[in-house]
Amino acid sequence: MKPGAGIQYAEDRDSKKSNETITLAVAGNPNAGKSTLINSIAGTRLQVGNWPGVTVEKKTAFFEHDGRKIKLVDLPGTYSLSPYTQEEIIARDYLVNEKPDVIVNVVDATNLERNLYLTLQLAELEIPLVLALNIYDEAEAKGYRFDLEALSSMLGVAVIPTTATKREGVKALMTAALAAADSPRQSIPKPITYGDDIERAADAVVGGLSAEIPEALEQYPPRWLALKLMESDSTVLERLGMPADSRIVADAVGHLRKAHGDDMEALLADARYAQAAGLTREVLKKPDIRKRDLTEKIDAVVLNRFFGIPIFLAAMWLMFKLTFDISKPFADWLGAMISGPFKRAAEALVSIMQAPAWIASLVSDGIIAGVGAVLVFVPVIFAMMFFITFLEGSGYMARAAFVMDRAMHAIGLHGKSFIPMLLGFGCNVPAIYATRMLENPKDKALTALLIPLTSCGARLPVYVVFIGTFFASQAATVLWSLYVMGIALAICVGMVFKRMIFRGDAPMFIMELPPYRMPTFRSLMIHTWEKGKHFLIKAGTCILAVSIIVWFLLNMPWGVENKKDSYLGQVGQVIAPALKPLGFGSWEAGSALLAGLVAKEIVVGTMGEIYVKKEEEGEKKEAPPIREELAGIVTSFGEAVKSAGMNVVSTVGIATISSDESEEKMAERMPLREELQKQFTPLSAYAFITFVLLYMPCAVVAIAMRQEFGTWKWYGIAFAYQIVLAWVVAFVIYQGGKLLGLGG
Amino acid sequence: MTLAELKPGQKGRILQIGALGPLKRRLMDMGVVVGEEVLMVKVAPLGDPIEVLIKSYNLSLRKKEACEIQVEAV
Repeated sequence: MKPGAGIQYAEDRDSKKSNETITLAVAGNPNAGKSTLINSIAGTRLQVGNWPGVTVEKKTAFFEHDGRKIKLVDLPGTYSLSPYTQEEIIARDYLVNEKPDVIVNVVDATNLERNLYLTLQLAELEIPLVLALNIYDEAEAKGYRFDLEALSSMLGVAVIPTTATKREGVKALMTAALAAADSPRQSIPKPITYGDDIERAADAVVGGLSAEIPEALEQYPPRWLALKLMESDSTVLERLGMPADSRIVADAVGHLRKAHGDDMEALLADARYAQAAGLTREVLKKPDIRKRDLTEKIDAVVLNRFFGIPIFLAAMWLMFKLTFDISKPFADWLGAMISGPFKRAAEALVSIMQAPAWIASLVSDGIIAGVGAVLVFVPVIFAMMFFITFLEGSGYMARAAFVMDRAMHAIGLHGKSFIPMLLGFGCNVPAIYATRMLENPKDKALTALLIPLTSCGARLPVYVVFIGTFFASQAATVLWSLYVMGIALAICVGMVFKRMIFRGDAPMFIMELPPYRMPTFRSLMIHTWEKGKHFLIKAGTCILAVSIIVWFLLNMPWGVENKKDSYLGQVGQVIAPALKPLGFGSWEAGSALLAGLVAKEIVVGTMGEIYVKKEEEGEKKEAPPIREELAGIVTSFGEAVKSAGMNVVSTVGIATISSDESEEKMAERMPLREELQKQFTPLSAYAFITFVLLYMPCAVVAIAMRQEFGTWKWYGIAFAYQIVLAWVVAFVIYQGGKLLGLGG
Repeated sequence: MTLAELKPGQKGRILQIGALGPLKRRLMDMGVVVGEEVLMVKVAPLGDPIEVLIKSYNLSLRKKEACEIQVEAV
């Protein structure tokens, strides 16, 4: 089949009428500055979602440019269009099935040859294409000289130099894309010629197809289809319902196999690379002397044999500290706002409406508490997304993976898994969201399964109460033992899962180490905002619902007096016998553990409610007048900003995992402590906090997992293995301790 | 010899890729093709993976994968 014959397939491409929506699909290599470019085109109009059925992020934007309606679709960053990775299959399916009006191919000007390899594959799809030669400023600074006209005429498409970080060339790119949509036939790239042998074979395959499956040729670009079949592309074969050794293909490639060996894929890849190398030679002049660039200088230190790991650990420490220390004052502020002015206002409203007591309780203890539970996560999610985006955008993430891969690989994880695991010690929820940095679904799932074993900040209040009551003299050692136990168990469970659930090929580790680049502030902000918003809307509604359900469980049946008779208490009684061998087989402990499903720190609150008879509530404090209330909101926000700043400056102590409970709170807990001493022995207390460490991921983690994986499956597995693990470990500790004579 | 055996700073030319299926395709898509020159840049602090320079960009891969790539020193 001769080059250019594909025009026939593209015949139905007419220029767009001025009121029709033009679909632009943005494709390119990872690290080619694609998302920065998209941000500078679409900005906050981007909508983030997922591609159907998978967890790969899909960004789209609808907007107008020069009076034309435009739909912009961001395809996953890929190096190729082979059928092996999720990202590649998504990009390819979209291009082939949805037939966008124009492909905007973002190419890294500093790495032209490898980027053109993808361009040449895109060219085979017979879709109008515009090439954005991005990171142009950096290439020029390196002394690269491009012959843009030659590149444009050889590819047969418009070539626009762009520098997305400075928003240069973006307008010209859009103009070129619209022009391509208006004259599609002139903007379809020239297909590459593979040489006579391959071309003849491709012709023969097309001939065979038109005789036997003619409808396939209407659905797919014929030449592309022929080449894919020659490569034995599994996805295409499957779609056409053809066997891998189909006669149509076998006949056509018979003589090629004889001449070049069996590997058609390699033969075609070589041909594409030869073409990409040839093009690059023609259009790009590089300076003779290569300077040692900034990236090499940084890497000489950052990946140094001796300093590499200390630097990595220091960077992680800094990130952890900044994430949680910056967000904590804001979370506290939001918490105080919700339980203070907001709650008071809602209560006032309810009492004005003269609603019955149960509604008042539902509003303040169910709904408002739920809203509070959602909002306190917002600062930490935003902070985490900001730092992760920075690490990825700057290029350090790939180095982190490079430095840690050996250690993480030992337990079946990827080098990058270290970062979500670390974040888990602050809070498991952002940690689960952070797993999206892992491209491979296996790596991602295993990491998410292990994250709940890292002891998060919410478990600390439980430890603090029990340790303060039973182990005051060795508090630090006991606390430390819990963290170490979590890590040790994560390693063991990782090894087991690697062999059980994730058998088979270990995911590959073939990763580009991109040059260091400073991400633009605008890009950072847009990404952070988009991801934070996503959490707020999706997870927020679920958390609210769970909080309301728990309220019902605690307060139903109607008019329940004793907590023992509430639904929660009843279930607590049912599960108590199962907890007996662990040393805490009371309905009180059972109910508290159940309530901890929402968030683990609730265990303490619920125990307080159950064990300690509520004092008659004193006179309700009169709500301050509105003006004072508003002033309070503003000044306390100022305080939060100030203390976030202080936390960044100070280098000692982490706000989240320091165990300083205020004296007021300690005093408040005294009755609970006295009660706990009657109910628990030191041994059963230790078994209990171990159980709290391990027993199950909280509801917010469940929602995060559902959101990240699009299925409840992984939460189900985490829930099941953790319950079993927690029971077994607590059993061993309690019964083993008894055998050793440590008291019953 | 294999790519994993190159010393940092040593250059090699790829003779053959022993891997099959997705691994081979992935390597090819990343520019690891027969005849290409590779420079061993460095080994990670813990001894694995390695970093190589190929087609004027930096690529990292595990030694296990690098063992599948036959090279001759140049």
